[in-house]
Amino acid sequence: MTSPAVKSTDSHVLRILVIARHAFTQLVRMKVFYFLAVFAVIAIASNFFDLPQHEVPESIGVSVLRSIKSWSLGTMTLFSVVLSVVATALLLPKDVEDRTLYTILAKPVPRFDYLAGKLLGVLLLIFVSLALMDGLMTLVLQIRTSVVLQQQLAMGQQLGWGAAEIARLKSETLAQGPTWSLQAGVLAVFIRSSIIASLALLISTFSTSTLFTTIISFLVYFIGHFQADARDAFLQSETGGQGIGARIFTLLTSLVLPDFSLFNVIDSVIEGQIFPLVMLEKLMALGLFYAVLYTVCSWFIFAKKEF
Amino acid sequence: MAETTPAVEIRDLVKDFKTSFRRQPLRAVDGVSIRIMPGEVYGLIGPNGSGKSTTMKALLGLVAPTSGNCSIFGKDSMKVDSRQDVGFLPENPYFYKHLTGTETLRFYGKLCGLGGKALEERVSELLALVDLEGARDRRIGGYSKGMLQRIGLAQALVQEPRLVILDEPTAGVDPIGSRQIRDLIFKLRERGITVFLCSHLLEQVQEVCDKVGIIFRGKMVREGQLEDLIAIEDQTEIILKDASPELIAQITALAEQHQGASIVRTGKPRTTLERLFLRETLGNDDS
Repeated sequence: MTSPAVKSTDSHVLRILVIARHAFTQLVRMKVFYFLAVFAVIAIASNFFDLPQHEVPESIGVSVLRSIKSWSLGTMTLFSVVLSVVATALLLPKDVEDRTLYTILAKPVPRFDYLAGKLLGVLLLIFVSLALMDGLMTLVLQIRTSVVLQQQLAMGQQLGWGAAEIARLKSETLAQGPTWSLQAGVLAVFIRSSIIASLALLISTFSTSTLFTTIISFLVYFIGHFQADARDAFLQSETGGQGIGARIFTLLTSLVLPDFSLFNVIDSVIEGQIFPLVMLEKLMALGLFYAVLYTVCSWFIFAKKEF
Repeated sequence: MAETTPAVEIRDLVKDFKTSFRRQPLRAVDGVSIRIMPGEVYGLIGPNGSGKSTTMKALLGLVAPTSGNCSIFGKDSMKVDSRQDVGFLPENPYFYKHLTGTETLRFYGKLCGLGGKALEERVSELLALVDLEGARDRRIGGYSKGMLQRIGLAQALVQEPRLVILDEPTAGVDPIGSRQIRDLIFKLRERGITVFLCSHLLEQVQEVCDKVGIIFRGKMVREGQLEDLIAIEDQTEIILKDASPELIAQITALAEQHQGASIVRTGKPRTTLERLFLRETLGNDDS
């Protein structure tokens, strides 16, 4: 035997990163990235969904650009939501079933580090996947936008449009292409999936099966879209005649769940509208708050859990 | 100077589990106390469901004691820093199938704060120790049961712990793999590492342990030095090699001359079935 290996200073951050990197590798080796091939097909196929339109310069090809954005962002949403729930729901129970958790917790690994590492690994995977999908979408959109722009300018010149009108046309068409607002929309997709992943992590700390965690997470995600309605219902119940059970339910829903309807702003990005910076900041704050809240709650439960 | 702080100290450990359908909680461990000094090899034996694994889990902080307490080298085992000096091999472990042997040890090493060249050297050293150098780049998913146990033992040793806890280390392993693990335990003892193992394979415990505790229905029913526990105090064993029938006759006659002494049995000592198997399969005569 050689001399004892050097024990470096305990570092929570390093340990979390080791677990995160491992969770990322584990998911990658489960062939999760095969989904990117499906996304590539969708992104390219959406080029052909050109709706019938009036033959005026403003409308030529614009529906195709919207179609590319709509299909791409829709697929990104689907992928990120499914992955954030399923991957998170899978990782913890699998470690318990296989007893690999025993070997990890028998090392000097605080339970918080383990949880945070797993969550970070899932988020890293979602981030990389979204970045790759975003890159592909932007590329397809960039190529298609320049083609559309050429067609529009050619038709505008045929109709004898002036320079000011052509500049306005160009500006309107570019707004439908790859913009910073579109990138902010992708970031919003990531923020939403971060909240869902941390929620799934919380549920998996007390659930007994992957299936239960998956179903409940999707259910909560669905209910989260009505959080704003629940909040309004609770506020109005001060004056209205609502039962105590309904009041408690609406109060809990509005306190515990984030308002997922705020993320509907992504739809406006597809329409070519600007993503307000204030809105992005609000979503980032919301995402951070709920991700931290759910992770801390997960820790409280997991710290007391017996194996 | 010999270390005086016990490697393991379990005091009056009680562990109750809540049951879903019964009002009475299930008492898995009932007032167990164990003290293991550094360098000892301690075997906790008992039938299935007697509380062996629960005792080990309590020692590792995987379950919280209902009452009593556990410490490792004087540190409360519910605290994370107590695990700096512990390596654990659970019963029937399944490691991450997507990792190779090398990656597995690297992962556990990094969790213990190792890194760089020191970690790489440690990984190679451990793979050599558990005889898995040939399978270092093979994924764990393709490992046999015996190989899994050995890589499990290697991960338990990755940070050079002073205490190794082994839960049924040879469960489901064939006699050759079982012997390899036994030899590894001997190597650990030679290096002064404390070993706490639980098993229901009594012959194996007898071979490797200095001290033994017998647990039954959650209670410690007997504990002590192995030699003291299994020695038959009023009998003496003499094993002769190449003794002629005349010599044996003389010894027998001499014994019979002494009042109160008698020959209980004479005959040829027998090897064990395990040793016979190993000799025939591996040609291992000294086993």
